[in-house]
Amino acid sequence: MSSRPALVAALLLLAPLPALAQVDLTGTWSPRYQEDFSERVPGPELGDYTGLPLTDGARRYAESWDPARITMPEEQCRVHISPYIYRGPTNIAIFDERDPATRELIAIKHRISTFDQERTIYMDGRPHPPAYAPHTWMGFSTGVWQGNMLVVITTHIKKGWLRRNGVPESDLATLTEYFVRTGDVLTRISAITDPVYLTEPLVKSEEFVLNTQGVPHRAWLYKCKPVVEVVRPEGAVPHYLPGKNPYLLEYRKRYRFTESVTRGGATQTYPAGSAPPPTGAPMKPGGPALAAPKPGEVKVLRVQGQVYMLASADGNMVVQAGDEGVLLVDTLPAALAPAVLDAIRTISDKPIHYIVNTQAGEAHTGGNEALAKVGPTRPDRVPLGSGLGGNTGGATSIVAHENVLNRMSATVGSGPEGKTARPRGSWPSDTFFEDENDFFFNTEAVQVLHQPDALDDGDSVVFFRRSDVIAAGDIFSTVGYPVFDAKQGGSINGVIAALNRVLRLAVATGNMEGGTMIVPGHGRLSDKMDVVEYRNMVTIVRDRIQALVAEGKTLEQVRAAQPTLDYDARYAAPSGPGSTDAFVAAVDASLRASK
Amino acid sequence: MPRMPIAVLAISVAILLFVATTQGQAPPAAPRPAPTVRDLAPLDLTGYWVSVVTEDWRYRMVMPLKGDFGSVPLNAAGRKGAESWKAEQAGGCEAFGVGSGMRAPGRLHISWENDSTLRIDTEAGAQTRRLYLGAPPAAGAPSWQGLSVATWDGPPDVIDVLRTGGFDQLNRGTGQAARRLAWTPLKVVTTNFRPGWLRANGVPYSDRATITEHFMRYAVPDSGEWLTIRTVVDDPLYLVQPFMVSTNFKKEADGASKWAPKACRE
Repeated sequence: MSSRPALVAALLLLAPLPALAQVDLTGTWSPRYQEDFSERVPGPELGDYTGLPLTDGARRYAESWDPARITMPEEQCRVHISPYIYRGPTNIAIFDERDPATRELIAIKHRISTFDQERTIYMDGRPHPPAYAPHTWMGFSTGVWQGNMLVVITTHIKKGWLRRNGVPESDLATLTEYFVRTGDVLTRISAITDPVYLTEPLVKSEEFVLNTQGVPHRAWLYKCKPVVEVVRPEGAVPHYLPGKNPYLLEYRKRYRFTESVTRGGATQTYPAGSAPPPTGAPMKPGGPALAAPKPGEVKVLRVQGQVYMLASADGNMVVQAGDEGVLLVDTLPAALAPAVLDAIRTISDKPIHYIVNTQAGEAHTGGNEALAKVGPTRPDRVPLGSGLGGNTGGATSIVAHENVLNRMSATVGSGPEGKTARPRGSWPSDTFFEDENDFFFNTEAVQVLHQPDALDDGDSVVFFRRSDVIAAGDIFSTVGYPVFDAKQGGSINGVIAALNRVLRLAVATGNMEGGTMIVPGHGRLSDKMDVVEYRNMVTIVRDRIQALVAEGKTLEQVRAAQPTLDYDARYAAPSGPGSTDAFVAAVDASLRASK
Repeated sequence: MPRMPIAVLAISVAILLFVATTQGQAPPAAPRPAPTVRDLAPLDLTGYWVSVVTEDWRYRMVMPLKGDFGSVPLNAAGRKGAESWKAEQAGGCEAFGVGSGMRAPGRLHISWENDSTLRIDTEAGAQTRRLYLGAPPAAGAPSWQGLSVATWDGPPDVIDVLRTGGFDQLNRGTGQAARRLAWTPLKVVTTNFRPGWLRANGVPYSDRATITEHFMRYAVPDSGEWLTIRTVVDDPLYLVQPFMVSTNFKKEADGASKWAPKACRE
């Protein structure tokens, strides 16, 4: 090699390449639907699950789904989630968000005409939020360039569709996308991993063509306001009992398919004889590991207004903090009290004036005594509590329904060995027996709403009206079945009634996202739509078991019918009161008792 | 990518100038062979790839019903052609031509036939394609797979930044800087093919069509390597707009042991 070409090559290698290997994706893109047209534009036919690597649970869910579901006010403005929205009739405007000072790329934005969505793909290397952060329709996305391909990973997606004829995608799914532009054509390849409803990744691809003619401004709008389309009893959820959906046959008959064809599954996506052995079991979770509290840790997440969620491995509690002081909803187990106090002090150094207990259990009241002792420290403050319970010496008012006090002060054992269920110092000091107990604190109304015969007879939810946040206690969880105790006054119908009451209180934004925020007893911060999904699950399971009981089935026969098959991978604990067996038995017993 | 500070750049250039100058005084080194197109390929497409059919399942995995040509933008002549198809024609090699052969369920075996030609063998229809990254041979009689000329397809602005002649050099096997263009798709334009079917039930494409493909490789978390082939058929005879689909394959380490080509009927 002569020196001159070597120099030229060296200089070329040294040339600054600010945007090297990064394609400009900005512009307005319009879709082409020549693949999967019937699914993507007119909509899939009922009972068509072909080409989807579904779990048995996903199939059960889809076969139970009734299209009348979308007439429910809660469902009318449901948005297609980010893995699915690109498959529908939509235009996409892609633009960059840059730091105004440095012009460095912060994010790539997608304005999506369907459902008026704006998606942000962060390009600045920020981490994904923790596991207890809320989920949205579009999720949380980060992107990196691999040469000329933009690779995007999305977590924190709400529950939605794999196919909009009832085939579900869970809120634990992770989306990986690959955007490739060549000329005026953009290909989006997506790979969905779902540890609840898929047995292996679902890979699909779509094409978009650069639109240089513009899209009318009204096409970008999608205003949605739910109305009552069909009058139903409160909480009624349209669905078909297993094996009772008459419309599954239509697709089979039209295309002369056997049942095994239309049921989908990974095996049928491969050429004959090429598929891995079918298991029907969910795949492993995918995506980045999300931060979650370790045992003994308490993490703070601001909700909105004056309200914060404190997340721990043992459950959640709520802090409301303002000029007047601090209010707590539940106090987590006693062992966490120091960590809880440390977390509170990152929010406010003002005194703790109120503790509200949503339940009597240790996970909700364990820290009462220690945190009440911290209480108001100003000498001019007088105790707010009436001193009905054991907290007579402190100035922090512990508020709960009287049945919580009854549970905590009940005598356990007998004779000289007998003692109360919970230490006296942790008992509620301000109890109520009415349907609700309201007060005003930190310039907002606080409503403590008793939920009779739900998990037991003492449950309350707490509504912060100005902050627009509901602390739901264990009535609502994003990670487990409701654990109710019939012996202490709980019932499945009471749980459902409590969830419907939370839904009556909550108001979502036009696209059923955000608005009133709901802190569950366990799991991630949620909004109304998350409670809708949970209410639907509990209601559908109740209806299935009720039908089996009405047919005269025994508990063992009820269990054999797998009434929770479509939800176990999401909610069932491996053992104990939150297990499938325990939940089915509790619902069964509750329904038989109420006959 | 952050810009290199001027001082660092200047020092680097000085060092390279020195190296380049002293190279002229050193004993002549053994000439290294110029890198080939194969050496410089930004993507390794070789291996066994099995189709995973999650889209258009009803059209691809089972024989579609006669007259079911939904979503293909046919004009009147195209519809007439599709409706004239007869069931006894099923299995004909028309269904495995270059316009739709990648859509047929089965495996691909992609290999380098020589330093500038990629070869694709298919299970479905037992077809062989050759993608010429170097000079293509003279066109002979039209065939099912036609004559495919391939180039690595990058956007013009990237080529401008490189100021090397970029892809021209890459495709000639002389480029260096263009090696940075990893994950750049392979563009394939095919001509001189026989007319065939876009779907197995006789939806036609003509020999006047323009067929352009892009091969894209990527890794799916916990699922290994995948390949997507986008195919655009622009047919002035039978279509009112280009027919555009993309087909997904998963790499199989044990694909050779499963290889079972099935010939089509001429």
